[in-house]
Amino acid sequence: MSKEKVLTKKDLRRAARRWLIGISTFNYETQLAPSAFFSVYPCLRKMYPNDEDLKKSSLNYMRYYNTMPWISPFVIGAALGIEDEGGVESLDAVNDFKVGLMGPLAGIGDTIGWAMIPTIFGSIGASMAMQGNPLGIFLWLAFTIAFLAVRILQYEWGYNMGVNVITKFGKQITVFTEACSVLGLTVVGSLIATVVKLKTGITFTNGDVTMEVQGLIDGVMPQLLPVAAVAIIYFFMAKKKVKMTWMILFIIIASWIGAATGIFTA
Amino acid sequence: MELSVIQIILITLIAYLKMTDTVTLQIAAFNTLICGWLTGLVVGDPETGLYIGATMQLMSMGVVAVGGSSMPDYPIAAIIATTIAATTGQGMEAGLAIGLPVAMLGVNFDVIYKIFNGFLMRKEIALIEEGKFQSALNVIKISPVFYGLCSAIPVLVCVVAGPSLVNTILDFMPAWFTTGLTIAGGVLPGVGMAMLLMYMPVNKYWSFLLVGFVLAAYLSVPVLGIAAVGLAAAYEIYKSKMNAGTASVGAAGGLEDE
Repeated sequence: MSKEKVLTKKDLRRAARRWLIGISTFNYETQLAPSAFFSVYPCLRKMYPNDEDLKKSSLNYMRYYNTMPWISPFVIGAALGIEDEGGVESLDAVNDFKVGLMGPLAGIGDTIGWAMIPTIFGSIGASMAMQGNPLGIFLWLAFTIAFLAVRILQYEWGYNMGVNVITKFGKQITVFTEACSVLGLTVVGSLIATVVKLKTGITFTNGDVTMEVQGLIDGVMPQLLPVAAVAIIYFFMAKKKVKMTWMILFIIIASWIGAATGIFTA
Repeated sequence: MELSVIQIILITLIAYLKMTDTVTLQIAAFNTLICGWLTGLVVGDPETGLYIGATMQLMSMGVVAVGGSSMPDYPIAAIIATTIAATTGQGMEAGLAIGLPVAMLGVNFDVIYKIFNGFLMRKEIALIEEGKFQSALNVIKISPVFYGLCSAIPVLVCVVAGPSLVNTILDFMPAWFTTGLTIAGGVLPGVGMAMLLMYMPVNKYWSFLLVGFVLAAYLSVPVLGIAAVGLAAAYEIYKSKMNAGTASVGAAGGLEDE
C-alpha cells in the first residue's frame, strides 16, 4: 500500500517551526494533540488533496498525545515518515507508533530536559548571581537557543528514519540517559550540601556551660540537618506519595513552628 | 520608592512574556534567574533582582511540571519579590512573604487555563469534522496568546496593590512569620532535590550522590568543578556500557552529541 512520498525538507522545517506553539494548547483530555495537529496541518494538506482523507488524518492527530516537547519533533517527524508512505491506510499504525514512542521518550526527555538541564545551568547561574554576576543567565540561554536548532532538525531525522527509529536508537538512548543520570546525581549530591539550609537553635544549659546543639551536629558531619531534611522529604514524596504542593505547604508550616519555638533558626 | 506607570507595565510584560515563552519557545523555561534580574533592571536594582532570582532558582530546583502537571510559579515569585523588596526597602523576606503565596496560588490559574484549553479542543474537533480546517487552526491559535495572562494578572495585582499593603502587613507580622519563611526558603530546595532523585536511578548509582556531597561539603569544590567530575564519570559509564553491549551500534551517532 505504498504511495509516492510528497513531503520535502521545506515542509518538514515548516512543521517544525509550527510545533513551537508548544505546550500552550495543553488540555486534560487530549493533552498536546492540538499542537501536534497544528504542526503537521500543512504537511497533511499536501499529502491528502481529498478533504475526506484529510479529515481522517487530522482527527487522528487530534487523538491523545503527550511527550516532552523538545523530543516530540522526533516522534511526529517519524510518524509523518510512516504516513507519507502508507497514506490513510496507515493511520492506525501511525497512532500506535506515536503512543508507543511517546511514553519512553517522555521519561527520558523529562529527566534530561526538565530535571537535569535546569538543575545544572540553574545552579551554575545561581552561584554566579549570588556574587552579582548575571553571566550564568546567558550561558543557560545560549544552550537553549543552540538546542532550538536540534529541535527543528528532529523532524527531518525522524521523517527519514520512520519506523526504524526504535530499533536504531533504542540502546543508545538508554545508555545515554543512564550516563546523564550519573552526572545529575553527582551535581545533586553537591547541591544537597550547598543549597539546602537548615540549622537548629536548641541549646542546653548545664550549670554555667551552654551547649549549642548545632555545634555538636557540625562535629559529627557537615550539613547533617540538610541531608536529614532531604531524606525525610524524599521518604514522604517517593514512598508515601505526598503531592509536591502539600509537601511545600507542610515545610512552610513546620518552619513557622520551628521559628516560633526556636527549634530552627534562620 | 513609588513605581511609575511605565515600570508597572514593563514588570507585567516580563511576567506575560515569561509565561508565553514557557509554553511555546521555551528558551527561558524554568529560568527564574532571568525574571529576577530583568525585574531588578526595571526597578533600578539589578543586584537585588539577581540575588532574589538566584534564591528562587535554588528553591525551585528540580521542581518541574512533568507530563502536564502544574507547579508553583517560582518565576513570578521572583518578579514580585524583587519589586516588593526594591519598593519597600524591607529586603528579601518582605518580598518572599508576598511572592511565595502568590506563586503557590498561581498553580490554580494554570489548571483553569488547561480546562479552558479543553473547551477549545472540543470546538476544534467539531470544526474539523465539519471540514472547516482553517477555522480549527484559528481556534488553536487562541491558546498561546492568552496563556501569558496566568502570570501577568497576579503580578499586576501584586505590584499595584503590594508595596503599600506589604508595609501594613509587615507591621503586624510576628517575627516567627518572617523568620519561618526564611527557614522554609532554606529547606524548600530539598523538595526539588527529592523530586530529582525520584527520576534518577538512585539505587543503582547512589555512590555518585555521595561523591558530589563529599566534594561540596568537605572540600568546598564549586558546582562547575563538581559538574566536571560528574561529566567525566558519565563519559566513562557511557563508554563502558556501549562497549559491553552489542558491537552493532556505532554507525549512526547523531544522538550522542546532544
